[in-house]
Amino acid sequence: RAGSKQPTTPADNYYLARRRTLQVVVSSLLTEAGFESAEKAAVETLTEMLQSYISEIGRSAKSYCEHTARTQPTLSDIVVTLVEMGFNVETLPAYAKRSQRMVITAPPVTNQPVTPKALTAGQNKPHPSHIPGHFPEFPDPHTYIKTPTYREPVSDYQVLREKAASQRRDVERALTRFMAKTGETQSLFKDDVSTFPLIAARPFTVPYLTALLPSELEMQQMEETDSSEQDDQTDTENLPLHISTDDSGPEKENASVLQQNSSLSGSRNGEENMIDNPYLRPVKKPKIRRKK
Amino acid sequence: AAPAEGAMSNGVYVPPSAANGDVKPVVSTTPLVDFLMQLEDYTPTIPDAVTGYYLNRAGFEASDPRIIRLISLAAQKFISDIANDALQHCKMKGTASGSSRNKSKDKKYTLTMEDLTPALAEYGINVKKPHYFT
Repeated sequence: RAGSKQPTTPADNYYLARRRTLQVVVSSLLTEAGFESAEKAAVETLTEMLQSYISEIGRSAKSYCEHTARTQPTLSDIVVTLVEMGFNVETLPAYAKRSQRMVITAPPVTNQPVTPKALTAGQNKPHPSHIPGHFPEFPDPHTYIKTPTYREPVSDYQVLREKAASQRRDVERALTRFMAKTGETQSLFKDDVSTFPLIAARPFTVPYLTALLPSELEMQQMEETDSSEQDDQTDTENLPLHISTDDSGPEKENASVLQQNSSLSGSRNGEENMIDNPYLRPVKKPKIRRKK
Repeated sequence: AAPAEGAMSNGVYVPPSAANGDVKPVVSTTPLVDFLMQLEDYTPTIPDAVTGYYLNRAGFEASDPRIIRLISLAAQKFISDIANDALQHCKMKGTASGSSRNKSKDKKYTLTMEDLTPALAEYGINVKKPHYFT
């Protein structure tokens, strides 16, 4: 590391200064033990061990403290940590008194706070009160400020009504033109066919028939129930349907007309209930063509 | 049946099997609380700022400055224990063959990796350094 040419940031300097202090401490401890000199590798090893030992005590004591739902570590946490790390705590007072001989060296390091570089833009947000002071600062505000890139949607009532009305008119127009282009057309004007196409009306042979007959949807359902009448399962299905129609019938005031209406509505409601959720549809057995 | 009688000290039950062995259970922290009061006079070798810096990096927020001194003292003792063991290894190697009896072994001890490695091995720390440097 001594020979590296990398430029050191203020944070690195901060870290290196403390590392050097630890080395001085290790050297003083070795001197106190009786060594005159030491190998560089040995001093480095002991420095690394000392640093990691302190860090491990801090981490483990914090874990024990948080384990008991506290945030401030106490003496007991540290004692438990030391015991867990195999440290004989009872010899600690004896050691403290013993080493009053010599060694109070290693002057404290001068404060080297991390100086901001020229690249900071804007002011960093200060720490909220619940964050301790030694934690790193917040990053520059441009890293988390967000500006929406869309315009606010228009919420004016008049504008919205106009938009809705124009959209509906456009949809209607487009749909009718599509039907006119794909189906048969009649034209108002004799010569010009394409300007105002009208959807051709299909004349029925018996015009009032559609009013009397049930709608196509109900025809489909009646076909299905008729074809699977041979199975018992659909018979039980039919029963509740008919029962429901019979029940709803007497509840109405008029008998015949409204009963037909209610049967229609009942069947339609039943069909709506069936169609609504495909996973709730009753099981339809395949049509078995029995040869009779 | 009443529990087997064990040594009662400070009102804490110590099982008799453990009392004979090497490891004694830590009874209480009251001696250390007293020690913590005395610690204000004594300043450990590691400055408070340095220990505090490394503890902060680990997430440990110290409420009491004496706790920091206690931790730095514990770390110091850890290193000095290893240093003492290495010194004994060095002395054993020096006077093993009984070279000099008139004067004691010369006072110049140098801590080398050959002494440090077995001392650390007793703590369960295995270091392997290459014998040569390119």
